[in-house]
Amino acid sequence: MSTLQFLMDGFSIAFQWQNILFAFVGVLIGTAVGVLPGIGPMSGVALLIPVTATITSGMPTEAAAASSIILLAGVYYGAMYGGSTTSILLNTPGESSSVVTTLDGYQMARQGRAGAALSIAAIGSFAAGIVSLIGLVLLAEPLSNIALQFGPAEYFSLMLLGLAAVSGLAGKSMTKALMMTVFGLMLGTIGIDAVSGIARFTYDLPILYSGLEFLTIAVGLFALGEVFKTILEREHEDGTIAKIGRILPTKQDLKDSAKPIMRGSLLGFFIGVLPGAGATLASFFSYIAEKKFSKTPEKFGTGAIAGVAGPESANNAASGGAMIPLLTLGIPGSGTTAILMGALIMYNIQPGPLLFDDHPEVAWGLIASMFVGNLMLLILNMPLVKVFAKIIETPKKYLLPIIIAISFFGVYAVQYTTFDLFLLLACGILGYLLVKNDFPVAPLVLALVLGPMIENNLRRALTISNGDFMIFFTKPLSLILLIVAAAWLLIPLLLKFKGRTIVLNEED
Amino acid sequence: MSKTFDRFAGIIFLLIGLLFVIESQRISESSYGSEVGPDIFPIGLGTILILLSARLLYETFRYEAVIKNEESIKYKKFFIIFISAVLYAALLEPLGYVITTFLFLVIAFQTMESGKWLQTLVIATAFSFGVYYLFAEFLGGSLPGFPEF
Repeated sequence: MSTLQFLMDGFSIAFQWQNILFAFVGVLIGTAVGVLPGIGPMSGVALLIPVTATITSGMPTEAAAASSIILLAGVYYGAMYGGSTTSILLNTPGESSSVVTTLDGYQMARQGRAGAALSIAAIGSFAAGIVSLIGLVLLAEPLSNIALQFGPAEYFSLMLLGLAAVSGLAGKSMTKALMMTVFGLMLGTIGIDAVSGIARFTYDLPILYSGLEFLTIAVGLFALGEVFKTILEREHEDGTIAKIGRILPTKQDLKDSAKPIMRGSLLGFFIGVLPGAGATLASFFSYIAEKKFSKTPEKFGTGAIAGVAGPESANNAASGGAMIPLLTLGIPGSGTTAILMGALIMYNIQPGPLLFDDHPEVAWGLIASMFVGNLMLLILNMPLVKVFAKIIETPKKYLLPIIIAISFFGVYAVQYTTFDLFLLLACGILGYLLVKNDFPVAPLVLALVLGPMIENNLRRALTISNGDFMIFFTKPLSLILLIVAAAWLLIPLLLKFKGRTIVLNEED
Repeated sequence: MSKTFDRFAGIIFLLIGLLFVIESQRISESSYGSEVGPDIFPIGLGTILILLSARLLYETFRYEAVIKNEESIKYKKFFIIFISAVLYAALLEPLGYVITTFLFLVIAFQTMESGKWLQTLVIATAFSFGVYYLFAEFLGGSLPGFPEF
């Protein structure tokens, strides 16, 4: 069957009434997550996994997985749309990927052009979403065919590359990022070893035999960590929300932003495909690029519409691009995609090259639903932006305790043990402390998800080579991947050594 | 970044790495016919973590401490909410979901900002009953609803 045929099948799945509903709920919650400062896409997705797991529990596994992932991915790219709203209206970015939008977006709002800024952000995000989806459709097949040639050695090196990329860009200190990665891998070894069936680090506690639940740790580190931070260091919500006014952009606005949107989409897509470089980095690069391309660079920072259109397109395109390594190679490139991967594994569906053959309805259903979801977001964000702006006013007094209650419910409903609730609370504290002291937690979660797979491939490769580690260097593809991984860690170090400042990826 | 925290974290992670290496020696021999047993990976990871922690400790002696304007940290609020969350977890099974959730939300709402009792009670009731009935009755999930007498 041709790609087009698969895509059509995907649409027939995406247009099932329950999946339309799931996509709608996903993008709606995603927009809300994007608008609310303090909850990022990562905690939003993590919080919703248990909820979707229970809603879909009556369905056959594959359909349940397709529906859940449609909803969860909707939260992810929906958040990219919503993030711009607070940046423009309040000068407070809802997500780290919308930080640069504040520069020109808020200035536009002060000049009474908030409506135009918001609608350009929505149109740009939509165009970018479509561009990245077309890229995803075109690249999915060839990339998974390449990945099918991979043996255990290549897979091991590829996953190492994924981890190296995320750690290399994750925070202010690479030592800390690497420590978090290794710690995540170590947590992943707790439980019964899948290869030999021997219990490791369980100390005869039956609760540990199945290992530490990834979901509990992710919700604890991200969602609870952020809640604890807000309770402890409550920022005063001052600043007034700018009036939105006229929503439709003028012809001149559209003309000025058409090129930035296209450039931002392409740039964002390619940055998104790279592991480790996420939406935040994409929006930064796009802003810098627009300033370079512009005939009037001095206008940037005073309300140039290109400074909103470019970055907002780029961050949405990056979130689409990030789905490519996840779906075709089975390697998540960012914290949020790691969580999406964890969700797929919960349904016993392994992302990777075989996904498109084994579970076409999940893979293509998701891709098709992203087209539908982006359209929904465009419709939602243009006329309803005033409604979403109201969400900003949700009092923290009610929001924070309810987030704690939802995470309790979610974890308990999936795990049925009080142990996981205590683990959740402990991870919340740990998450708060680690993030506060520049220990990035995204690599930890990524490592926890990839850990068992890395170990299996390592041991399979070493079994093939009779314990000779040279197997990773003698296979050409594996060697290339390892060299790239090493470069990813060494180049920032070298640049730092030379005294250059480097753009770092915030967690997204 | 706080030097004390970094040193403390460096020592803790160093110990964790050490513990992993030592405890890995106790993992029983595998019957799986390979030279690569279940202990190789944890030993390797433990060793790397020890090296990285040592590196972090070394770094803490190199950089200048950055003095941040510490914002007022609301320990009291946090501890009340955290302790009620611990109690929530401990009592969830014996007392059931509805009662514990309701109590937790009421305490947490009032701790965040006291006053507006009517709103607090309405939201807490709606959430605890709403989630329970939607989940247990409508979706057929299992959740301990009320205490068993």
